Amino acid sequence: MTANPAAQAACPPSERLAGFAALLRDHGLTVGVSEQQSMLKAAMFFGPVQEKPLQAAWRAIACHSHREWQLWPDVYERFWHPEKLRGGVKVSGQTRPGRNLRQSVQALHAQMDAAQLPNTQPSGQQAAPQTAGDMPSIGQDEQDAGTPRAQGGASRTEALHQRDGQMWLPQELSTLQQLARKITAKLQPRPTRRWRVAPRGQRLDLRQTLRRSVAWGGELMQPAWKVKRLEPPRLFILADVSRSMESHAALFLRVARAFALEADARVFVFHTRLAEVTPYMHSDKPAIQEKVNAVTAGFGGGTRIAASLQEFARKHARAQLNRGSRVWVFSDGFDTDAPELLAAALQEVRARGARITWFHPTRQVPAATALQRSRGSIERFVPLASLADLAAARQVLK
Amino acid sequence: MLRERLHRAGYLADEDLATTVWLASALQRPLLIEGDAGVGKTALATALAQSQNAVLVRLQCFEGLDLAQAAYEWNYGRQLMAIRMSESAQNGVRHEESARLLEVDVFSRDYLLERPLLRAISQSGPCVLLIDEIDRADEAFEAFLLEVLAEYQITVPEIGTIRATHIPQVILTSNGTRELSDALRRRCLYHYLDYPTLAREIAIVKSALPEADTRLVEDAVQFVQRLRREDMAKIPGIAETLDWVQALFHMRHTRLPEDMTAVLGTLGCLLKTREDRFVMGPDRLRQLVEGRRSVGVAESSNEQAKVAA
Repeated sequence: MTANPAAQAACPPSERLAGFAALLRDHGLTVGVSEQQSMLKAAMFFGPVQEKPLQAAWRAIACHSHREWQLWPDVYERFWHPEKLRGGVKVSGQTRPGRNLRQSVQALHAQMDAAQLPNTQPSGQQAAPQTAGDMPSIGQDEQDAGTPRAQGGASRTEALHQRDGQMWLPQELSTLQQLARKITAKLQPRPTRRWRVAPRGQRLDLRQTLRRSVAWGGELMQPAWKVKRLEPPRLFILADVSRSMESHAALFLRVARAFALEADARVFVFHTRLAEVTPYMHSDKPAIQEKVNAVTAGFGGGTRIAASLQEFARKHARAQLNRGSRVWVFSDGFDTDAPELLAAALQEVRARGARITWFHPTRQVPAATALQRSRGSIERFVPLASLADLAAARQVLK
Repeated sequence: MLRERLHRAGYLADEDLATTVWLASALQRPLLIEGDAGVGKTALATALAQSQNAVLVRLQCFEGLDLAQAAYEWNYGRQLMAIRMSESAQNGVRHEESARLLEVDVFSRDYLLERPLLRAISQSGPCVLLIDEIDRADEAFEAFLLEVLAEYQITVPEIGTIRATHIPQVILTSNGTRELSDALRRRCLYHYLDYPTLAREIAIVKSALPEADTRLVEDAVQFVQRLRREDMAKIPGIAETLDWVQALFHMRHTRLPEDMTAVLGTLGCLLKTREDRFVMGPDRLRQLVEGRRSVGVAESSNEQAKVAA
């Protein structure tokens, strides 16, 4: 199965498998002892000759999600068939295949993570392979096998938190999604006038209690209780995609998409007019920006925030905008309409009971006159220029 | 071997899927299958049961699914009736010892209503347990499933632990509407079922509708494959393709109709949302169909050249 039979002979199969498992773990797959045992069993079932069914079996054992399923062929080829990778340059026994920029950056991060982990024990013995970088490479000199590889010192966390939203790595997207999930969980639910049955509650559900008593011959042995039904607040996101906000639109749309998925938020974009883009947010396509551009093409120049907000309150969200609704506006606040119109529009949204949060891409609250005049209607201003800003805002978004 | 048996049961599995199903059986591990709706996740379990002459026990998950609906429930009505009968027997002429009902009697297996999970692990012969759309069930139910899937046992407090005498082959399906817990995922083998390739889908449709014209099947499947590349809210699955080809076959078409209105009339089989119907107007449809005829154009130009010669 390996390109170098000599190296394969030198390395016992269980160690090779441990090395492969380490590489899988490096790529975020959860491959523990039980998975390795199952992989070994599968290898004994099929033998090393039948590679295709063995690969399918290992894939079924090691992958636990769609992301991992998609990642598998690349990782498998990289470990077992490095010679097949196009344009591969061997570096410390690993290859660097021709990839697009995103994949290359991802691989670089993986390498840096691997380099940071110690791969020799204090006693001088070879450590059990924990990462792919720990494994001796095929055909590599023994002297070189245990040498730590310095591959850069940049911190992934730092890079992640300072990214401006132009380029998104899979782990960043997953961080954003987790962040959106946490913020959504913290949004205070709204009690409705309806009740639901619960194991314990404030009020007796007489109908259900009587129904249950049938099982006990009419004895009220198992009372049923009712509690107020809570509903998550409705979330509306209005993202400014005017020319002045062009550089921030990618971040805004990514954040909007995360909340569309987690909080079932309705997403609108505006500059001179308003358009709902919620359906686009639910499909996992990289071309969200292009679609939104297509939707907003021909809207003309300028930014009409007040008119867009009025249209939003009167037309799009008329039936849903009520007490407890959250309206998040992603904009710098520079409006081509008269300043007093924005105050009136926000007042109109506020009058419906909605709580307005204004996310601005600048550090300070924008100095736009329209926005300054509307401060009374806006509950909170939150800077949003990066993922770190959203993480910081997690505490205040309730 | 398994692949052939599945084929005989009407399910065309690729080699990887057949290997995974076989491995799940060999390792006695549940198999979690994810994929879009309509790619054949549920059909796999049905075909597997059929191919192995096994009993298929299906648990359809939904929000609010609880233990009483999934595992077992006491037959209260029957218990009550037994108690009343025992009371009347004691008060009446019969005072025999046998007529007396003990508490342990009403909490025995006779008074237990078996729901799908208990029914599956109680089977004495081969059994396929299909836990369909697990992502629709609550997280609490997922936690309960862990015991069943890891140990193949269910604990009934009044009776004790009921262990499977014959380990069922468990298939869980998920459409990915909710993220499943890591604990559940790790207990299962995993397979992502994608939309089939052109050749495989043609084979599937031909297998399901052998009487349909080959040209019609090829044209229709090519069209559906192109349609899947469009940005749609609901991508048509294999079931939709089968419905559509069946509709065209019943309308006595032997190939895709030239008339777009006839195609539009049957598109309800493929397009299930208003947005998709709106996007797929006659113009876009014609473009897709013309894409189908790119080969045909070359053929017709050859024919024209022959005529000219």
